[in-house]
Amino acid sequence: MMTTALIAPAPAVYARESWAEIVKSARMPQFIIPTIALPPAFYALFALAMGQGSAEGATRALATFGVFAVMGPALFGFGANIAAERESGQLELKRLSPMPAGAQIAAKLAATTAFSMVAFVLLYTLGIAGGVALTPAQWVMLAGVHTLAIIPFALIGLGIGYRLGQKGAIAIANIVFLAMAVLGGLWMPIAVLPEAMQTIAWALPSYHLGEMALMAAGQREAANLWLHAGPLTLITIAAAVFARTGERAQAR
Amino acid sequence: MLSNHSSTIAALEGATKAYGAHRVLEGFDFALEAGTVTALLGPNGAGKSTVAGLLTGRLRADAGTVNLFGRDPSDQLARARMGIMLQAGGLPETLTVAEAVDLHAGYFARRLPTAAVLEQAGLTALASRRCDQLSGGEARKVQFAMAIAGSPDLLVLDEPTTGFDPESRRAMWDVVRAKADAGTAVLLATHHMDEAEALADRIVVIAGGRIIADDAPAAIKAQVAATVIRLRTRLPADRFRALPGVAKVETVGADLSVLTTAPRASLEAAFAIDPALQHFEVTGASLEDALANLVQSNRTTALKEAA
Repeated sequence: MMTTALIAPAPAVYARESWAEIVKSARMPQFIIPTIALPPAFYALFALAMGQGSAEGATRALATFGVFAVMGPALFGFGANIAAERESGQLELKRLSPMPAGAQIAAKLAATTAFSMVAFVLLYTLGIAGGVALTPAQWVMLAGVHTLAIIPFALIGLGIGYRLGQKGAIAIANIVFLAMAVLGGLWMPIAVLPEAMQTIAWALPSYHLGEMALMAAGQREAANLWLHAGPLTLITIAAAVFARTGERAQAR
Repeated sequence: MLSNHSSTIAALEGATKAYGAHRVLEGFDFALEAGTVTALLGPNGAGKSTVAGLLTGRLRADAGTVNLFGRDPSDQLARARMGIMLQAGGLPETLTVAEAVDLHAGYFARRLPTAAVLEQAGLTALASRRCDQLSGGEARKVQFAMAIAGSPDLLVLDEPTTGFDPESRRAMWDVVRAKADAGTAVLLATHHMDEAEALADRIVVIAGGRIIADDAPAAIKAQVAATVIRLRTRLPADRFRALPGVAKVETVGADLSVLTTAPRASLEAAFAIDPALQHFEVTGASLEDALANLVQSNRTTALKEAA
């Protein structure tokens, strides 16, 4: 009887924590506007304005820019935010409270997903305006791959945030952000890069997710799915270990 | 009441904690009773925050047992009965005071209504202020509000009134006192002797990882039974340190403040070295003086034992 009277119902805590996380970020326009607006702005500039109006070019770019759109909220939302909350003692207070252990991460995932969704809607609208024409099934698969991209990037952000202070986390997240975008072929195909740099792409989740998004949009042979889904799974497991060991190091 | 073990709500038994080669606590025993305010005092590095950290589950003991409401402190059921105010406690910057308190209160099934918590913490007027627009003292009040929001059976307060004006301080003490009178156990880690004296039923002094005193505030003072003699002299302070019974000599303005356990002998000796002594004032030692003396004599004893 005592036990049920002591602990708040977990679903309610998860919901409140997620809502608080979204409100917290939404009230930081200096953080959230660049994070959400940058990918659609780049897409409009590079793919649409400079792409000479080719529907195929607009479709390819939409596939990879959708992956790019996830990286900002995931890397900075998790990396820099967790680092700041850890440094200020907020994480510790939550850890010592009866809050369910998973609520904090689940809430951050919910916020990252919410902000990524906003970026997706902006991107897809621009894409349609730029001549992208996909079947409903292709749209669903494309949105699915883009949403899936949240997981590996969030885990990497988490691992960074648990290990570094706020300033260090922002610096590293920026480097990871740019490297993933350029070397993963999200801005332009990796074929334009020197051959040595192209091999690096195989170690990057951004590359595999970009290729999978291109398959979803009918721009690549889907028979090669395992070639990218396999490495992506391994990279995601490694990212999970990276995040988990960082979190473990918190408990003294 | 103090020794009624049936009301023990948290305890360390034989707890040992080391950081690298530095052993902070070794075989440490300590218990908290319901309805009692226990103040942990001692010099920096004595082990105060280690004791609090072990009891709250913030730190893990290398050896020994830690028991919080009959459970491991990492147990959610134990945490649900504890409210904590950490020394370094940041706040969610962009949430309002009411939102931050409400979010934290929501972790506890026995939560109080947010309006009631804000009222007790003296935050009603600041309810809709964003947390990044608070002064240091106001932010402390929000952390206090979070600590009491879940109607805890154990309230852990680490330097709670840092940055407070005297009025807010007294107001918080009144709330803490009321919680203790209603049965809450309170663990107060503080540097402020007046805070311990005003609030605590029991003072535990830690030095070098050991409890060197554990008693009611009045008893701690009596245990030392020290007296402060203020006097004016032209002789250097060092001459007075060697006098019988003298524990400490400080320069206070133009006077010397001499802490002694044998006031009569000290005074006679003082007259012997300076017949022109002026401006006497003989008073009972403050709790702060008593503790300083206690820690000092403990150090001396430890040195003799080591030699």
